[in-house]
Amino acid sequence: MTLMTHRTSGTAAAAAPNDEELVQRAQQDDERAFGELVRRYESKVYSLALRMVRNPEDAEDVLQDTFLRAFRGIKSFRGNSTFSTWIYRIAANSALMRLRKKQLPTVSIEDADERESPISILDWKPGPVEQLLSQETFRAMEEAIESLPPEFRQVFILRDVEELSNAEVAEILDLSVAAVKSRLHRARLKVRNRLAAFFSDSNTKRAMGARS
Amino acid sequence: MMTCKEVLDTLSSLLDEELRQEVATEIRKHIGNCSDCRAEFDTLTMTIKLYRHNPKPVMPADCHDRLVKVLEIEKIRNRHESNPSGS
Repeated sequence: MTLMTHRTSGTAAAAAPNDEELVQRAQQDDERAFGELVRRYESKVYSLALRMVRNPEDAEDVLQDTFLRAFRGIKSFRGNSTFSTWIYRIAANSALMRLRKKQLPTVSIEDADERESPISILDWKPGPVEQLLSQETFRAMEEAIESLPPEFRQVFILRDVEELSNAEVAEILDLSVAAVKSRLHRARLKVRNRLAAFFSDSNTKRAMGARS
Repeated sequence: MMTCKEVLDTLSSLLDEELRQEVATEIRKHIGNCSDCRAEFDTLTMTIKLYRHNPKPVMPADCHDRLVKVLEIEKIRNRHESNPSGS
């Protein structure tokens, strides 16, 4: 699990300690070392939080909760996983708790297990990604994520947005790799169905606009 | 011969290149001959591409400042708890 971990490389960065060294120093009450870990991971945690909870105020609460928990728990961190996996795990759980507490209108895992594809799927003609990107598309993409049950949302965001590996996501969420793959596939289909409906709708509007 | 449902169930693994070579070849062959499965595959591929092109949200600078303050308060509280008399 070296993908997410900050490591020193080359002579220019030789003076910068890696995460493991910073964790050891933070465990010995070195507040500057903990501050450096915060600096390294705050943007990643904020990004994950914002994508999970969908509004900046809640994302900031998750950010603060994550680093408060990390600060309180750093001495008991045994290094069985990397610091990055540990901090992502705290953040993912904090975001999940917040979603559950707010009882946001999300569908259950069972409801999300819809396998049928929308009729409109053939209307979406994939081309270069750049052609499809617009503010409307971004909004539709966010709404598609929002439609996922929280447990699916976690997997989809960590895997397809944050681009972590199945093994990393499994470790962060304390799931088997098989469970990650299964949730990911179901989440992808559901998100795709939402986007297909969006593209089909915008194609129809464009066609109607062209006729009028 | 794989059914469309079997192909659909393995599309994510195909996209993530997790399938054995011979299974991947069979699915790709099926996709080549089946317009429904090809649409499934193309749109799923495009969905993942879109999210990977999506720019990362930027954390506001004042968010960092408030986080630092929250942690400072926690540190002060900690010091006070471990040494309540202040001696």
